Amino acid sequence: MYRFDWVVFWKYLWPVTALQNPLIRNGLIVTVVVSVIAQVLGVILGLFAALGKMSKIGPVRVIAEAYIWYFRGTPLLVQMMLLFFGLGITHIYNFPDIHLGAMVISGAIQAGTLALAINEGAYMAEIVRAGIEAIDPGQLEAAKSLGMPYGMAMRRIILPQAAKVIIPPLGNEFNNMMKTTSIMVVISAAELFFAFTQVNARLFKPFELFIAASFYYLALTTIWSFIQSWIESSLGERKSVVRSPGFIQRVFQFKGAH
Amino acid sequence: MTTMIAPPTPVIEDNVIVKFDHVNKYFGTLQVLNDICLEVRKNEVLVIIGPSGSGKSTLLRSINHLEKINSGHIYVNGRMIGYYEQNGRLYEESEKNVSQQRAAIGMVFQRFNLFPHLTALENIMEAPLNVLKMPRENAKAEANRLLQRVGLSDKSDSYPSQLSGGQQQRIAIARALAMKPSLMLFDEPTSALDPEMIGEVLDVMKELAHEMTMIVVSHEMGFARAAANRIIFVDDGKIVESSTPEELYLHPREVRTKEFLSKILH
Repeated sequence: MYRFDWVVFWKYLWPVTALQNPLIRNGLIVTVVVSVIAQVLGVILGLFAALGKMSKIGPVRVIAEAYIWYFRGTPLLVQMMLLFFGLGITHIYNFPDIHLGAMVISGAIQAGTLALAINEGAYMAEIVRAGIEAIDPGQLEAAKSLGMPYGMAMRRIILPQAAKVIIPPLGNEFNNMMKTTSIMVVISAAELFFAFTQVNARLFKPFELFIAASFYYLALTTIWSFIQSWIESSLGERKSVVRSPGFIQRVFQFKGAH
Repeated sequence: MTTMIAPPTPVIEDNVIVKFDHVNKYFGTLQVLNDICLEVRKNEVLVIIGPSGSGKSTLLRSINHLEKINSGHIYVNGRMIGYYEQNGRLYEESEKNVSQQRAAIGMVFQRFNLFPHLTALENIMEAPLNVLKMPRENAKAEANRLLQRVGLSDKSDSYPSQLSGGQQQRIAIARALAMKPSLMLFDEPTSALDPEMIGEVLDVMKELAHEMTMIVVSHEMGFARAAANRIIFVDDGKIVESSTPEELYLHPREVRTKEFLSKILH
């Protein structure tokens, strides 16, 4: 029978002891920072892809659609390997390490972040488009009739309203993003999961260590769900459209009670 | 090579604000505007009536290029709307120019289309601030003056969802007026209102009619008789009859006009 190593388990579960290990400490920071940057870039890319897909200009529409088609239609894992190793070996682009004072941002982290962002942009494009299309076309007509050009009407009238529709699924995307950063392990980017695999390589306690690792992701997504509930309730305060589910429901996905 | 000769620009008299010159429009094979010719003079109030699907809304919406036309010309203040002519061909104007033209034409919609994320005051200030680049102080003073004019000074901080239909439509009128338009278009402004709120909107419009050029798609006979100089009956994309409200309601000449009036005036 397998003897569960409680010492290793508690050491790597309990943050005070686990974060003494610089691999895990830095991995946690990388996971959070990469998630935020990739999500922000993904939203920006998604916004442009959504507007591109709705464009009256044929070639713009084709480019936007091809982008969404490819990046939603192929595995992120493949995209990431292609971006890092593929571009590297052909010397099209080698992601160089960036030195910022004492900090080094490895090429793998950059490539991983970029792959996550580009992939996310394709999904965000559909979310943004659905948000824009949920707005009454009369809003755009009213804006136009007041002399607003398309860009101004989008920025001032349509997108602020679409944001309310976009933000709940955006929160779910970010939840996903924090977990998905773990696949950067394939290009050896030093994020949280990579850190645990490194520790495991030394101690060979995969059961204990990966349970501990899973709790770190659980902590991140749980904290995020608090923030998400808060954002959504403060958005809904002015004019509640749909009451967002409470924290307990959100975490445990209770479907009843409504 | 054939040389194309531009047709002579029709002479437009100074006081003609809107001119339709043989305008046609199709939705697929359906002709919604059929050789429309029409002139609206400064300070004239024109009412358009007609059955649903007759093309009356399309006619109105083509004046600020919310609807494209297939042939003919529409001029507002002597300038062709939405298109420019080069070597006898029509090209669609750039978005920037169309926007500039629209800025001088106020429009009021059936469903109000107020911006729900902005207060009443912000709705009115939005275009002067961003399109005309008016200083905030001036825009705010002007918006407050307009709120007073439509009798809603106390609602400046209300959001559209907190206002009744009649109040929303009055704010929408104020929002259009804030751009100091030379022409106001009303697309069935009272059709979406509860009956008890129609009066307050029509009162604001009657007040305006003394000083503005207005084109109003509406079946409100009371308004037409009190404020309109002219009324046209549109059916199947054509102007069937044009006369004064008194004449048209009491002595319609055309059979189709008679039939239509008998349906709406029970």
